[in-house]
Amino acid sequence: MPHSEMTADNGRSRSFAARLKSDWHMGDRSRLAQLLIAVLIVIAVAMFAASIMTGAADASLGNVLRWLVGMEGAEQVLSARDRIIILDIRLPRAVLGLLVGASLAVSGAVMQGLFRNPLADPALVGVSSGASLGAVLLIVLGSSFFGPLFAVFGFYALPIAAFFGGLATTLLLYRIATRSGQTSVATMLLAGIALGALAGAVTGVLIFMADDKQLRDLTFWGLGSLAGANWTKILSAGPIILVSLAVVPFLARGLNALTLGEAAAFHMGIPVQRLKNIAIVSVAASTGASVAVSGGIGFVGIVVPHVLRLVIGPDHRYLLPASALLGGTLLIFADMIARTIVPPAELPIGIITAFAGAPFFLWILLRGRSHMGL
Amino acid sequence: MIKASNLSVRLSGKEVLHGVTIEAAAGQLTAIVGPNGSGKTTSLKAMAGELPYDGTVSINGHDIAMLKPWELALKRAVLPQSTVISFPFTVREIVRMGLSVGTKTDAGETDRIARDALEAVDLSGFAGRFYQELSGGEQQRVQLARALCQIWQPVRHGEPAFLLLDEPVSSLDIRHQLTIMRLARSFCERGGGVIAIMHDLNLTAMFADRMIMMKGGRVQAAGHPNDVMTDAVMEAVFGCAMRVNATPVGSAPFVLPHTAVG
Repeated sequence: MPHSEMTADNGRSRSFAARLKSDWHMGDRSRLAQLLIAVLIVIAVAMFAASIMTGAADASLGNVLRWLVGMEGAEQVLSARDRIIILDIRLPRAVLGLLVGASLAVSGAVMQGLFRNPLADPALVGVSSGASLGAVLLIVLGSSFFGPLFAVFGFYALPIAAFFGGLATTLLLYRIATRSGQTSVATMLLAGIALGALAGAVTGVLIFMADDKQLRDLTFWGLGSLAGANWTKILSAGPIILVSLAVVPFLARGLNALTLGEAAAFHMGIPVQRLKNIAIVSVAASTGASVAVSGGIGFVGIVVPHVLRLVIGPDHRYLLPASALLGGTLLIFADMIARTIVPPAELPIGIITAFAGAPFFLWILLRGRSHMGL
Repeated sequence: MIKASNLSVRLSGKEVLHGVTIEAAAGQLTAIVGPNGSGKTTSLKAMAGELPYDGTVSINGHDIAMLKPWELALKRAVLPQSTVISFPFTVREIVRMGLSVGTKTDAGETDRIARDALEAVDLSGFAGRFYQELSGGEQQRVQLARALCQIWQPVRHGEPAFLLLDEPVSSLDIRHQLTIMRLARSFCERGGGVIAIMHDLNLTAMFADRMIMMKGGRVQAAGHPNDVMTDAVMEAVFGCAMRVNATPVGSAPFVLPHTAVG
């Protein structure tokens, strides 16, 4: 029997672009996705390098590289002051931006898969607020109630507290929004608003109770910033983020099946309850760790996966790694804007992501209303 | 064979199935019919393993409660009534999800199966379309192609596989109703088994080997359509006196709403 699609695959000599085009007509976006991931890796590396070179101190890429590989004469190329700026300020900042951006975008993508809806995002539905509450709770009541926690976990205490705050919110939200395996979008968004407001109110009470020193520690949570980046923060949040990012690829096939509903995923052989548990814990862990080190940075988790779905489709096997790369790249880029737009002052990065992300979010809403069950 | 013995199911505190026993043999198309709310879908869901139940369900002698989800997925595939998706998947991507179960086959083979499955539901050339842009009947057929891919061989390692279909033809035009019923028949003829919830009694009588008539969470009658579709059963189950007739050729019983008395 004649298959017009089959003939399309025979010509080996055809260009890569032509093959991509015929793939697209057959509904196969896997080659396109692989290409995009390769491109994103290159862009991420370039953005990382650009971020290290951008700033008040003069340090060109060539000089930095020469110094890093330890070439002769490099000592003269880069002054001791520049070296400190790069090693202790810009490098941790870029690394943290990459980690936090990847973590925000991937937890957005996982949460959207879990709730089977493109509007689910940790920042939007109160998970970040819950995580903030956990962190604030620890800071304000830390010395009196959680002393032992600090003693045991050291600088991991803050990300862990934020993790439990995020976990509690995610679990509650899932229980409220999902009835017999189907998620109601309206319930999810409204319950998310309510939970976020509640967490915000409790946080407010705690801030009211806080003393001056604690207040200074607290201020940056509301805004979201990478300004305080240092190696200690990377050591405290990095491992948690990396572990949850490493787990996520194993969820990809299950999340794909879950988009057809919980029952259908079970029919296709997915252990649904286990999948949900792992997804919820990983979202809470990476959101908690990100919030603990950089405060609430919004919209990365919703914008990045959505843009990628428009190009390569919703297949989580490609969507998750692509989200990590694009999320990291975008956050480093936003941070570069944040620290150069009003020199010598610095804009909190959360303001930039909100300025770019909020209109975009509205655009998603207006464009895709019919497909989202709203 | 799929064997459900003494199934009882409670939904939000209320018992909706009362000790239902259903058997579906390989090589046979077993149809479950009955009025709305008679427990057809609940029975099918319990047999698929997605609802908690009292009683036992076994597939080819294995208690389904003891099987892992992926083991179960290789023995039976399920077509739900309708599936809404909020992400822009293409038809090809949906159908291939059915192929991700079980052992890895090479890319050429999976491509061929996905293509053949789409052709079997009369959707050749739809691979590149977006699922969300299709009509309800087309979406239904995409899901059937996806379920077919999951148990592409009706007999695997000497064990028959089963298709559980919840109203597979309810949103289809008459031509595609026939396509899908013939597809189900051919799956049975190749050694697999099919359990289908049906509303169209005449289509059921044409294609089913066994008809299970349910009412109020109980099995009211079971057997060959010729034995189940009688004036007495019709009145008892649907509460409406009707005349069952037989076609001149092949003697499949049929019943017309025109014959309803009162």
